[in-house]
Parts: sequence; structure tokens; C-alpha cells
Amino acid sequence: MQLLERYLQAVKFWLPKEQKEDIIAELSEDIHSQIDEKEAELGRKLNEPELESILKQRGRPILVANRYLPQEHLIGPVLFPIYRLVLKIVMLCYVVPWAVTWIALLIFNSGYAAKFVGHSWFEALGYLWASLWSNAFLAAGIVTLIFAILERVQRKNHFLEEWDPRKLPPVHNPHVISRFNSIVELAANMFFFVWWTAHMSSNVVLNQPNLRISLTPAWRYFFWGFLLVSFVNIGLAAVNLARPYWTARRATFRLVSDLAGSVLFCWLLKANILVEIAGASIPAAKALQLTAAINFWMAKMFPAAVIVGVVIAVVNIFRIVRVAAPQAHIPGERAAMA
Amino acid sequence: MSSENFDNLRLELRRGGLVLAVLAALHSEQYGYTLRKILADHRIEIDEGTLYPLLRRLESQGLLTSKWREEQKRNKRFYKLSAAGKQILEQLLTEWRTMDSSINSILKEYGHATSRAVLAGR
Repeated sequence: MQLLERYLQAVKFWLPKEQKEDIIAELSEDIHSQIDEKEAELGRKLNEPELESILKQRGRPILVANRYLPQEHLIGPVLFPIYRLVLKIVMLCYVVPWAVTWIALLIFNSGYAAKFVGHSWFEALGYLWASLWSNAFLAAGIVTLIFAILERVQRKNHFLEEWDPRKLPPVHNPHVISRFNSIVELAANMFFFVWWTAHMSSNVVLNQPNLRISLTPAWRYFFWGFLLVSFVNIGLAAVNLARPYWTARRATFRLVSDLAGSVLFCWLLKANILVEIAGASIPAAKALQLTAAINFWMAKMFPAAVIVGVVIAVVNIFRIVRVAAPQAHIPGERAAMA
Repeated sequence: MSSENFDNLRLELRRGGLVLAVLAALHSEQYGYTLRKILADHRIEIDEGTLYPLLRRLESQGLLTSKWREEQKRNKRFYKLSAAGKQILEQLLTEWRTMDSSINSILKEYGHATSRAVLAGR
């Protein structure tokens, strides 16, 4: 019977203090009743393996005790879906960009990469892996802590139970293009088109008595390239304003136009486009230094521009896929598209 | 997967039924072990890890009363339905019968062939 005492002691350890004795007395009585019945059936005392089998069938002490404890949770069912969404957003918007930036720095920034000189790629990736996990755990820990606090507040105030159906967001239709966005896009591109034509057509972009800025002859490719992209964007924004819903063809046009803009911009950063900065008050050596510094920092921005370009392309591709995919009917969708 | 689904749904379905069965069996005074035997004799299997916490919960809600008493040279805790428990049991039984009758009526009208055959055999 020493085994039974040990079992009861193990269960007792996990029970709430004020109920320990009462629960253990009842549990002990129940097990003794079961043993008595078994012994009466066999006509003899139970041996050790038979008692062991009864206790095993009862379950692990912590699980037995757990059934007597009140149900507890760190984040309850009301807040859990929001918690999961916020966690996903934090991981996508913080940890993933952090890792992408770190890799980009390692590849494109020689100063940063110099830290890992003498280390293999494997070691560098090991460093990334360790930092990534510590960042991910920290971010997830902070989010969990905030939601655990919110859960306590929600349990007291029930603030999430108060809601107004009229404040629900309108039915989301991914095909619909906001007219406001189209107007802003149209106005911005028209302004850019006029300004670009008026001020940027020559490779001497600024010719004042006290300041002169000249670009390389290759500038004309960029000038016409950006002008063409802007022209296409004006056309696209005008069509989107008149017919405010995405079609596969228009979404593809947007992808091509954005890709062209991104490629041109990335190329511009690497083109050492600035030839000369001159001014009456700027010493020649200083002007030369300034020109070199601007070209240098433009080239440094290239990796960031590539990342932004890729993100824009991914968003556009996602839009094409979503527009092309057959969709279940959303109430009000046809009315919105009419 | 379907067996797992069945087990989960069966568990959900049984949960309310177990409370009814326990309350119904405690019209006469019982201690845990004999209560479990009575339920098992009526084809309601319930393990002690479910029964004892359930008894405590029902007692804390005022539906049962309990007292320790010596029987066969051992201290046992005897449970019995309280006055409030009797009232609640009646209300729950009415609810149960209404639900049973509603489900039968739905099955008669819209149920598939198997369900109709089951009902016909009742």
C-alpha cells in the first residue's frame, strides 16, 4: 500500500491548498473501494503489479489533480483570434524584413560584411539564425505579455462585449479600386509629368548663377523612361477612375509599369549620373568631393531600392492572381462594380 | 479523422447528459464509488477523474449536499440532491425532452433514410 500513499501524495502536491485534504480523502476512499472490489473478486490481496495497474488506469497524478483545478488560460477565446493575427503581423512586418535587410547588408554593404571576414558563410548564417530567434522571441514575448494584460482587463471590464453593428467595416471587395486613390494618383502623375518635362529634359538640371548641376548624357534615357512610365500611369489612373475595379489586363499593366519604374530607378542609382556640381561659392575640390559623395550614396541605396522593387512586384503579382481567381459572390459586389 | 471527429462530438453531446444522469441518480444518497456503479449499470460510463470534479462543481452551485459518514469501517462522502437541485433537474429534464422531441421531429421531416429507419425501429 506504500505505492498508493506515494500516488496520493503526488496528486496532493498539485491540488489547491484549501481543498487538498478533502479531495485526497475522497480519492483515497474511491481507490480503496476499487481495491476492495477487486480483492473480493479474486479472493485474495492484490499484489504490487495489480495495484500498479489500477493506479496507471487512474492517470498521471498531475492530470488527476488538474481536473479539480479551475480552468485557466493566459489568453482567452475572445482575444485569441486577435492575438494570433497581431502575432502574424509582427512576424511578417518586423522579423522577416529584419532578416531580409540583414542578408542584403551582408551581400551589398562591404563595411558590414567586413565584420564577418575570416568567418565562413555557415558561421554568418549561424549568427543570423541566433539573432533571428532572439528577435522573434522578444517580439512574440512582448505581444503575448500585452495580450495577457488585456485578457485580465477584458475579464474585469468585458470591454470587447460592447459593440455596435453599425461600426462594422464595409464589405471588402478586393476587385474594387478606391476612387480617392485614383484621383490622388492621377493628380500626382500629372504634376510629375508637367514638372519633369519643364525642368528635367536637359542634362543640365539646374543652371543658376550660384549653382549648376549637370548629369551624364545617359540622363536622356532616364528622362524619357520616367516620362513614359508617368504617361502610362496617368492613363491607367484615368481608366481606373472611370471603371473602378481591377481586371487581369489592367493589373498586368500596373505590374509592367511599376516594374519599369523600379528597374529605371535602380539603374539610375548605379549610373553615377551626377557629373558636376559647380557654384561661385563652392570651391572646386569641395564640389568634386560632393559629386563623388552623392554618386557613392546613391549607389549605396541600390539594395534598398531592389528590395522595395521586389515587394512592389510581389504585391502586383498577388493582385493579378487574386483578380484572375474565380471568387465567391460577395453581397453588394456587383453593385459596387456597376 | 472521422473517428476523432465522432469522439469529440460524442464528448460534447455527453457532457450535458452526464450532469442530468448524475443529478437523477442522486435522488437517493450515494457516495462516489456506488454512484459510478449505478451509472455504469445503466450503460453510462464515467471515469472518476470526471465524476468527482463534477460532483464538487454541482455542490458548489448548491445543487447537491454532501456529508462525511463512516460506513463499513471507512469514512465516505455521501452526496444527495438538494432542494435547488431537484428544481433544476426538473427544468433540465423538460429542456431535454423538448430537445429530444424537436430532433425527432426534424429527423422525421428532413432526416436521411438511416435516421428514419432508426426512428421507425424505436
